[in-house]
Amino acid sequence: MTYHTLLFILTAAAAVAAVMMKDLLMSALMLALVSVGASLILFDFQAPWAAVFELSVCAGLITVLFVSAVSLIRREENKLEDNRMRFYAMPLVMGLAAIAAWFYAVPFFESLENWARFGGRVNSLGAVLWDIRRFDLLGQISILAAGVFVINSIFPRRKKQK
Amino acid sequence: MTTGLLAYLLIPLFTAVLIPFAARTRHRLAGVLANVTLLAGLINVSLTLFNPANLASAFSGLAENGFALLMIFVIYLVALCVTFFSSYFIGNDSTVNRVPYYSLILTSVSAMCGIVTTGDFFTLYIFVEVLAVTSFALITSDDGAKGLEGAIKYFLLTFPASLFIIFGIAFLMLTAGTFSFESLKVIIASGLPVGGVVFAVSLILLGFLIKSGVVPFHTWTPDAYEGAYAPVSAYLAGIVTKVSGVYAVIRISMILRLFEIKAYHTAEVLMFLGMLSIVVGALAALRQNEFKRMLAFSSISQVGYIILAAGMGTPLALLGAVFHLVNHATFKTVLFLNSASLEKSAGTSDMNKLGGMEHSMPWTSWTSIVALLSTAGVPPLSGFWSKLIIIIALWDGGAKIYAVTALLFSVVTLAYFMVMQRKVFFGKPTEASRNAREVRPAMLVPVVGMCLLIAALGAFFPYIYAYLVEAIAARTIL
Amino acid sequence: MTNSFALDWYFITLIFTAGLYCMLVSRNLLRQLIGLEIMSKSALLGVISAGALTGNLALAQALIITMIVIEVVIVAAGLSLLVKNYRLTNSIDIWSLDKLRG
Repeated sequence: MTYHTLLFILTAAAAVAAVMMKDLLMSALMLALVSVGASLILFDFQAPWAAVFELSVCAGLITVLFVSAVSLIRREENKLEDNRMRFYAMPLVMGLAAIAAWFYAVPFFESLENWARFGGRVNSLGAVLWDIRRFDLLGQISILAAGVFVINSIFPRRKKQK
Repeated sequence: MTTGLLAYLLIPLFTAVLIPFAARTRHRLAGVLANVTLLAGLINVSLTLFNPANLASAFSGLAENGFALLMIFVIYLVALCVTFFSSYFIGNDSTVNRVPYYSLILTSVSAMCGIVTTGDFFTLYIFVEVLAVTSFALITSDDGAKGLEGAIKYFLLTFPASLFIIFGIAFLMLTAGTFSFESLKVIIASGLPVGGVVFAVSLILLGFLIKSGVVPFHTWTPDAYEGAYAPVSAYLAGIVTKVSGVYAVIRISMILRLFEIKAYHTAEVLMFLGMLSIVVGALAALRQNEFKRMLAFSSISQVGYIILAAGMGTPLALLGAVFHLVNHATFKTVLFLNSASLEKSAGTSDMNKLGGMEHSMPWTSWTSIVALLSTAGVPPLSGFWSKLIIIIALWDGGAKIYAVTALLFSVVTLAYFMVMQRKVFFGKPTEASRNAREVRPAMLVPVVGMCLLIAALGAFFPYIYAYLVEAIAARTIL
Repeated sequence: MTNSFALDWYFITLIFTAGLYCMLVSRNLLRQLIGLEIMSKSALLGVISAGALTGNLALAQALIITMIVIEVVIVAAGLSLLVKNYRLTNSIDIWSLDKLRG
């Protein structure tokens, strides 16, 4: 129980840090930490498949994408002066949000919990994926195809120009 | 999910994957393949829809899901018009890369067919994301800075909207344990308390409202339409944003009406947003100088009519919403394709620089007139009937103020289109329009065909009405 | 068992707020994407929490795997838009996107 709450606190702290970091590279790494935290939470929820996916794809692949994008735009980053005051004000805003959420969101979610309708008919992931959500697999195939075409369209291999 | 309609989803996806291999050396082949696939699909769906046996029995014996079939027909029609138009529009010197362009269009057709055939919120969400991802790349396909700007603005609004949908899905899992429309109906019919389900569905609805660009969330729409590559803006305005947002809103409001009094507030808000879109869209369209931007605001205003009818939620209003969605796809495609023709031959779509185009481009001018009269709801064109159904349904449902305002603003629609027609097509020829020539006949085929369809939908309205009542109202709405 | 569900969602709300704050205050396109990522992490945790409460854990895992696949494609599309915009205008400032007005 406490381990569970600690993981959530770690993830929230990493999220705040990812927003506040001045260096974009550090932000990207903090984002990876958020992913790792989310993955540990998934393990704690007894959802190992989703956790492994989260760890390998989000903490791995997405971080690689972000870091390579940061290195591509490295020069620009220093010229753009974001208003740092707003980021320094973030702990204050988050603190206010935390207090407000404690008084408003927690009772709201407690009342929402009363609406819960218990299911749990099928317990194996393979059975769910194949029997109930077969159409989703088709959706996954088409989004991967779409991703390939998008990259191909945005960065075409030009032979003649330039 | 309707397995009988799965082929409409799989075949475009297959061709989309095939195109990069088949057209690697001969890029023109990509356009041919796309056109052939879409034409075959369109013929196939037309044969099912306009089968003499179906016409004779007034569509009561139709085996498939009527709503999905009608939407598939519209999707294939608009996509075919756009691909046919762009296979002549893309010149040899163009920066557009044909192979990914046609692959993306076919992938998005497949995604749209997935959206209209599914009966499940999560699958709906997946295909909406596929559609959104393909739209960015299509918007930027001419490598222009404007297109990129439109795409980024679309990106930054549409994905936060998706998060609302995911949270809605999470709450739906909590309160209903299922995402399919059918089992939701069962839960509603079982008479158990459904307050939590209404909350979850409203959250999903909010996400789709942002994606469809109703007024408080409309800022991305004009930018994306104006900045997009010219035929792509016809595709976006005609079908893509309508299927990814407005279709889902209609579909959800079909469920909302089953909650009856419990979803009262959600329906009220929906109607109010629809009215606001009609008013703001029409008033903003009056003061635009850029042709495509004016059409975008007009599109917001027409979406307002659909949302207003969906919020009303009576069976007649929902039929009006569906029919207006179909009509909107036809006339907005014509208008946007005409703006693309203008841009190609006169070099600009700024209305102050154009004038007297009716002499140099008579076909473009006349097809625009047909489309704009249909948009404004002039009888006997198709737009008149759908607006009539919506206004009658509003009046019958007791929303008399909304009905009168909707009627008044269809006059404003006529006004801003008349201003546009006078500025662009009538009057004295200007510098830009004197050198303009009519586009080649092949590029006129899609718009003329669409205009004939607009006239036919108006003339054969009794058949259309029978279809709407028998194939959609009797099965999907109940 | 104390009220774990409400506490989970309390933290989910906080993570969501952090992402939203990032998207609201930053002018940097890359930071906007990071904010979007943080928000979608909170949505993912929401799905698993709702699934765990109702005993739909297998269904929730199936949804999360699909969501992760979608997320990767979206991030790749967003980053490629960003890089292309950077090549074209030499800027990742969101305020420089002001050519379309009216």
